[in-house]
Amino acid sequence: MLPRKDLYPGYDVLAKRDGPSWNAKTRAVLDERLGLGPQTRRFFDEAEWSTLTALAERIVPQPADRSDPVPVAALVDDKLASGRQDGYRDAGMPDEREAWRRGLRALDAEARARFGACFHDLNAWAQDELLKLAEAGALTDPAWDGMPSTLFFKHRVLGDVTKAYYAHPTAWNEIGWGGPASPRGYVRMGFDRRDPWEAAEAKPDREAEAFAENLRVGD
Amino acid sequence: MPTPSDRGPGSGSVLKRRVAPVRVEAAIHPVVVLAAVAAAAGLLTWFAAGRSKRLGPAPSEGRRYAPRGSAVTASAAQRLNHASSMLAASVLFDSGLEHYRGQFFNRVMYTPIIVSSITFASSLHGAGDTDPGSSRVRHAAQALAGLTGLIGFGYHAYNVGKREGGYSFQNLFYSAPIGAPMALTLAGLLGVVAERVRDANPQAPRLGGLPAGRVLALATAGMLAGTTLEAGLLHFRGAFQNPAMFVPVTLPPLAAALLVRAAGKPEGASQVGATWGMWAVSAMGIGGVAFHAYGVARMMGGFDNWRQNLIDGPPLPAPPSFSGVALGGLAALELLEHRPF
Amino acid sequence: MRIPGLGNAADNPQHGTPGDDPEHHPRARDGRAPNVMRIGEWVPMRQHRDEDEVDFAIVGTGAGGGTLACRLAEYGFSVVAFDAGPYFRPLEDFASDESHQSKLYWTDERIVDGENPLQMGSNNSGKAVGGSTVHYAMVALRFRPEWFKARTLMGYGADWPIDWREMWHYYDQVEDDLKISGPVSYPWGPHRRRYHRRAHEVNAAAKVLARGAEAMGIDWTPTPLATISAPRGDAPPCVYRGFCTLGCSTNAKQSVLVTYLPRALKAGAEIRDLAMVGRIETRNGRATGVHYHREGRWRFQRAKNVVVAGYAIETPRLLLMSANQEFPDGLANSSGLVGKNLMVQGNQAVWGVFDEEIRSYKGPPSLAISEHWNYDDEGRGAFAKDFFGGYSYMSQGPLPQLWANTQASARGLWGEALVAEMQRYNHVAGLKVVSEYMPQERNRVTLSDVEDQYGLPVARITYSWCDNDKALNRHALKFLRQALEAAGGREVWDQSDDTCHLNGTARMGHDPRTSVVDADCRSWDIPNLWICDGSVFPTVGGVNPSLTVQAVALRTADRIFATRAT
Repeated sequence: MLPRKDLYPGYDVLAKRDGPSWNAKTRAVLDERLGLGPQTRRFFDEAEWSTLTALAERIVPQPADRSDPVPVAALVDDKLASGRQDGYRDAGMPDEREAWRRGLRALDAEARARFGACFHDLNAWAQDELLKLAEAGALTDPAWDGMPSTLFFKHRVLGDVTKAYYAHPTAWNEIGWGGPASPRGYVRMGFDRRDPWEAAEAKPDREAEAFAENLRVGD
Repeated sequence: MPTPSDRGPGSGSVLKRRVAPVRVEAAIHPVVVLAAVAAAAGLLTWFAAGRSKRLGPAPSEGRRYAPRGSAVTASAAQRLNHASSMLAASVLFDSGLEHYRGQFFNRVMYTPIIVSSITFASSLHGAGDTDPGSSRVRHAAQALAGLTGLIGFGYHAYNVGKREGGYSFQNLFYSAPIGAPMALTLAGLLGVVAERVRDANPQAPRLGGLPAGRVLALATAGMLAGTTLEAGLLHFRGAFQNPAMFVPVTLPPLAAALLVRAAGKPEGASQVGATWGMWAVSAMGIGGVAFHAYGVARMMGGFDNWRQNLIDGPPLPAPPSFSGVALGGLAALELLEHRPF
Repeated sequence: MRIPGLGNAADNPQHGTPGDDPEHHPRARDGRAPNVMRIGEWVPMRQHRDEDEVDFAIVGTGAGGGTLACRLAEYGFSVVAFDAGPYFRPLEDFASDESHQSKLYWTDERIVDGENPLQMGSNNSGKAVGGSTVHYAMVALRFRPEWFKARTLMGYGADWPIDWREMWHYYDQVEDDLKISGPVSYPWGPHRRRYHRRAHEVNAAAKVLARGAEAMGIDWTPTPLATISAPRGDAPPCVYRGFCTLGCSTNAKQSVLVTYLPRALKAGAEIRDLAMVGRIETRNGRATGVHYHREGRWRFQRAKNVVVAGYAIETPRLLLMSANQEFPDGLANSSGLVGKNLMVQGNQAVWGVFDEEIRSYKGPPSLAISEHWNYDDEGRGAFAKDFFGGYSYMSQGPLPQLWANTQASARGLWGEALVAEMQRYNHVAGLKVVSEYMPQERNRVTLSDVEDQYGLPVARITYSWCDNDKALNRHALKFLRQALEAAGGREVWDQSDDTCHLNGTARMGHDPRTSVVDADCRSWDIPNLWICDGSVFPTVGGVNPSLTVQAVALRTADRIFATRAT
């Protein structure tokens, strides 16, 4: 496994916010999303929220020194509170909201049964062990109430949590995505080509060049 | 609006290390440097060519802004220099734009900008020179342009061929345009001819042992045909979506045919038809810029989105290359008619 | 002052968002409908009262319904076209954002089961005026001629009751209507007219496909796409923003919303947005109109003819929900085939990492294609074909959320492994198939006992692969892997669970016992009930179906007009 790096030093997709790459609707949508704080909670209760926050940190871990982490739990909560659905569910699964509530409670119950502590109080290793068991479908506490833990893990946890994290500009910066693009799109599309308003990747020993380029994406 | 204060997951120490020295360098944009170098090269050429020699008073006192040489050869040479400057300017801006798009991925891509700037300067210099004698500096600069264009042509052709799909329409449309460097060759060629014509006998000007008017008329007719091919290819790429896009593929060939016919007439005969044809093509080249500007405005975001649309939209500097060639045709007609006009 | 032909391109749509809420309040009302080409403008719309018996009530405004509504209105019929989704203004309503643009998808609840349960919602159904063409990938391909006689000529599936030469004529017409941008000459299949716009420049992801194809010794070509490469009226050419499957905010995409529907309105058709049809009424063996839910209440529109064009889930659902004493098994269902033979297409992929920066998020996602395996029936050596049907494959351009979800759900990455892998996003390219799966009666749409927000039974979608499908998957993944590696891909992995497109739940045919509708898309059982969408496909072929749906719709309109006396 490769280590996570600062691959696009200095790149901030929000620098393009007021330029021709963002239309009014995009700005409105992103303003609303960025307005969600780490404690914005409308759907989950307190216990579920703690479990979800801990769970999100295991699925999409963030650097400890990140001053303004992506509020992953709040983004998941927002999706459920506003009733946006995927549009399908496996016959073995309850609807999305019920699946989340039941799944989080069941994870907590499993944590207490196996380790004698709440899920969010476990250390990372123990949390990962539980999640691996869930992924394999090996968790069968009565609290699951017939919902297969593997489907919960695959459809709800992986789907909703990864989509929440990668809906945030901080995550876009991390992977060097160009971000919103309308009315201005892109011009240079070939191998190793980038437009001046795209993130520059730091090549080995040439981080300074990339940094300088990245300061200019909003020009 | 909240903005994430950290930019990606970098550690603070890394950020600190790289801040200071970089921004100073970044203050001068590479494009500015390039423009300065090109301008400097042009100015150098201008001064190197020396002061215009004026033997005797210019007879057309009424036209101070563009005095014309009295001999038909000098007048035609000046017109050829007009043609060459127009082409060189077109190449200067067009290659600048297109190679900026290509991000000067290869250092060679700076060449046409410098060379066309030199050509432009030497052509402008010649345009103001009413003297029948040629200039060695200008001659050399024009020859350089002609050669550079040929090399560029080879280079572009090689690049198209090695793309996925090879010499397919797709690559002719979107990879390095094969015909474009030839515009620089034409500029150089017309510039070289201008110098040769200056040296020719005003009574019976000859080029390479053949009658200058005829040779030049046929050559510019060929150049018009080539330029038409280039415009035709790119307008085909645009699917001739606007009827005006047919003009540059119909008018220039007609005018070229008139030139060929003119070359067949006896020396000294009137060339009114062909002259009008050349003026029409010249006007079309200038009008084309307006049409292309309309095309840019029509792209998503219009001129607000100029960083994309000036490059992705119809190229503003391209159409005047037609005007350049047509001016060359006028010079040919001048020589054929044996009188400056 | 507005210069004609400038559309809204010159107005930078930064200048504001519309004040109304199209997702909750209908826009097509009060005698006008949105002018989708221009910010804030409207076009007049003829309206009908519920009591008026209109010539055609059309359920759905997508590739089938929208195209048909346009042509019927142009033939002079009175038409009301219903859509359950909103009437979007792309220039103003569409954000460059994956999450937000899921508003284009049909995300009402559906239940999936079977051995290979389908993923619904995003890539295979739309809930908006214009249907899923508003977010489709614009791939505009013709069927291979032999597929229209798949049973007779190739030994599998079922024959279509339409001759390929007739279809060729209608393909010409759709390609003209949508100004398809395609290659100067197309490498496969019989001669066709030149496309009306030139192909788009290909991006690095497409060049990966090209390299791979050239290394494998097969043809490739820039994909014919329904997004313009040169201006058309008020529509500017594509700016390569890469959000195609999330709605085109520039109108370069030639969706039904910006092509056939403006024409339909001009010809006098009425479009009702946010109008969910829940039931078709019949009397004495004929359809008499539709019950629909709009602005908070159920209403009934009388009609001389009803056309169902809700795509392969909602169409059978509506027919089954409309069961009554006359037709206890659902409408048009004397064959028992309504809802059966649901066909998706394989959407397997291989992905790999490249040394070069690819940045596949730029440009339409599928800029290059190879249809080799649709036309080569034998194959050789390791790639000898041991299955019926074929596949095309295209380059890809997933945006971050989709890509993260693919890495997590299909590859099983999470935690540090996921976030680290995601950082290679700009170096990834993939090849993805659209492959032909077989019709099977066990793959079907039925009604569940769960109710949706309208109080209507939710569809249950059952899907399993057969052995032929699995053999095809193996062949495709093996070939794609080799092609991607030949192009320079490293750490190649297979995404083996994805599917796309929906077809076949109300198939057309020659025989009322083995099909639901005839060649004219008229139901065998109810003479004034028509079905016009992907549901009527007897087989799916190995290409994206939208162009064929639209060609069939144009043909249906011609046939309705030609047989109008009866």
